[in-house]
Amino acid sequence: MIGTYALVSVVDDDESVRESLPDLLMEFGFAARAFSSAEEFLASDCVGQTRCLILDIAMPGKTGPDLQRELKLRRQDIPIVFITAHRDETVRPRMLEQGAVECLFKPFSDTALLKALNAALPAS
Amino acid sequence: MTESGRSRNDIPFDGSTPIGAVPLESILCTEELRNRPSRLPEYENENRALVALASALADSPRTVLQTLADKVFEVLHADSAGLSLLTKDEKRFYWAAVAGAWQPHIGAEAPRNFGPCGDVLDHNIPMLFNHWERRYPYLSWAMPLADEGLLVPFYVNGKAVGTIWAVAHDKRRKFDAEDLRLLERMSRFASAAYQVVGSIENLRLEIAAREKAETAVRELANGLETQVRVRTGELERSTRDLFDTNRALETEIAERKRAEQELRRSEAFLAEGQHLSRTGSFSWRVATDEITWSEQLYRIFEFDIGVRVTLELIGRRVHPEDIPLLNDMIERARGAVSDFEYEHRLLMPDHSVKYLHLIAHGSRDRDGRQEYIGAVQDVTQRRLSEEALSKARSELAHVARVTSLGVLTASIAHEVNQPLSGIITNASTCLRMLAADPPNVDGARETAHRTIRDGNRASQVITRLRALFCKKEATAESVDLNEATREVIALSLSERQRNQIILRSEFADDLPVVAGDRVQLQQVILNLLRNASDAMSAVVDHPRLVLVKTERDEDDHVRLTVQDSGVGFDPHAADRLFEAFYTTKDHGMGIGLCVSRSIIESHHGRLWAAPNDGPGATFSFAIPSAPGGLTGVGTHRDIRTPAVTDAAENL
Repeated sequence: MIGTYALVSVVDDDESVRESLPDLLMEFGFAARAFSSAEEFLASDCVGQTRCLILDIAMPGKTGPDLQRELKLRRQDIPIVFITAHRDETVRPRMLEQGAVECLFKPFSDTALLKALNAALPAS
Repeated sequence: MTESGRSRNDIPFDGSTPIGAVPLESILCTEELRNRPSRLPEYENENRALVALASALADSPRTVLQTLADKVFEVLHADSAGLSLLTKDEKRFYWAAVAGAWQPHIGAEAPRNFGPCGDVLDHNIPMLFNHWERRYPYLSWAMPLADEGLLVPFYVNGKAVGTIWAVAHDKRRKFDAEDLRLLERMSRFASAAYQVVGSIENLRLEIAAREKAETAVRELANGLETQVRVRTGELERSTRDLFDTNRALETEIAERKRAEQELRRSEAFLAEGQHLSRTGSFSWRVATDEITWSEQLYRIFEFDIGVRVTLELIGRRVHPEDIPLLNDMIERARGAVSDFEYEHRLLMPDHSVKYLHLIAHGSRDRDGRQEYIGAVQDVTQRRLSEEALSKARSELAHVARVTSLGVLTASIAHEVNQPLSGIITNASTCLRMLAADPPNVDGARETAHRTIRDGNRASQVITRLRALFCKKEATAESVDLNEATREVIALSLSERQRNQIILRSEFADDLPVVAGDRVQLQQVILNLLRNASDAMSAVVDHPRLVLVKTERDEDDHVRLTVQDSGVGFDPHAADRLFEAFYTTKDHGMGIGLCVSRSIIESHHGRLWAAPNDGPGATFSFAIPSAPGGLTGVGTHRDIRTPAVTDAAENL
């Protein structure tokens, strides 16, 4: 059964998030992988398997939106849930407009995350 | 010709003796000479006589005439022999030299034609006379009488000047041709000799005369030289004096010219400088109210140059709102003599406003009368640009402040939100693990640990934030708190103007310096002033007044107090005011007072707040004065800046 779990990848430069989110995702019943940067994720063998991407907006190097564009160019149509510690209300509509499934402000509740994931993976 | 000829003896002399008792021919027997048998020449005697004459001439030229007489007497075997010479006036003959019987008659004189000499000279030939007393009775006195007398003319330089004669008193002696030859020879020799003597004598005399003349000239010259030297010295001295005087005069003239030029130039400079800097100068004798203005000041006030300046006239131009200021200034100036400085406005006839900055230096003259000398600068342009600049600056500052606050807030939020996010996620996971069946206790424990760690992480963010503001170790320097506060007041002027806040300051004159970090202390003062301003931004029912006070505090502390008339604070919250992120302001961060307290504490002082009896609050800090700290640097002149405190900030 394990092999059939949908893979959710987390890309965030903050260690707290990388440590805590995968455990919660597995509690939700997903397979989870964490990456500290967009470059690390792109270099991994997970890009094609990832069913949903939880992506930090502001990161050193490639930002979240940069990665989003990169994946579009590679025709990797992965649903994206953006997360950010900057509470800027203007950011969310912009992200949604550009194709994101959801944009969550840190700290966010487990239910808000689950709701976003359900929206990203309706098939499951 | 000789001195001896001029001496007289006792021979009787009668000038009236008649001439020509018998004719000349009757006593002449010259022709007989050729007929008489001539004796043989005695060349040896002749030569001896000539040698004697020559040696006399060489040895003692003065006696050569007498030697001639002697030799004639000797060689001619005469009884008497002599030499008669014409006196200078040629009117008389005198016996210049005589030898033989008539020797005693030497020097005798006779008128020219009273004897044979005159006839000999008139005819210019030798003559032999026989008893000439027949013709020349005048000569009868010369005894013994002359039996025969032989005379030849005596020439000097070709001119007959006398005769040489030989006389025989005895009939037995008769002169012959040989005698004539000898006499003529000796006469020629004598002539030459005499000429030489004369020349020598002349030369001698000439030399003597010349010597004398030279001596005289020399003496004269010496005298002259001395005189010339003296006079030259005097001249040189006076020339030198003149030169020196001249030079001194020239120098003085040049100096004066230069001084005049410099004066003119500096006057021009001053006028130009006054014009360019829009600065006029004035003097004011307080007792008589005698006021003198520079031209530029007339221009500033726009009065005709030269109009008599009175306080009343000045008052007509001063802005009505600033009249109390003018009166206050006059009152103070009339009181104690001191320097003063004012800023006030003028309201010109065209309703434009000028801003003037006045600085005056007070002094007393010998009679104790007060006088002020000062400068007035038209600072309108500067003031207007300052206002524009200040407006732009405060707008910019406001934007910058808001922006930087926003950035700061965002970055703080970001820093705090990251660990918070971890905490919440971990806590959720933990709950879910515990709720599972069977519960995942190990997983729950792991997430609980991570929760604690993220909690600590959030706490560290706050600690880092505080450290960020108080990171720098306070540098210790002597700080004059009055001066430091003045600077802050000046820096924050525009902000108060914008918020229409009046600031009054009361600085203690004898405030000791403190040891500390000037910039940090100024940050605290600025923060207190801003808080006071912010606290009064909503006040409309009473003046927005800030009082800044410095004073000595107990335990060698120096205290600074900022009192406002703002909204104040809840007394129960007094302690929380200094907590980080506590704020009563709509847009406040709650960091200022927290950081300020950190700074004051690092200066070993304390910062506290107290509500006023009336509206507003008072914030104070007290820090120890520097050990052995001196009274604040500089003497604080009694300078008010009313335009700032009373006028500008009141606007």
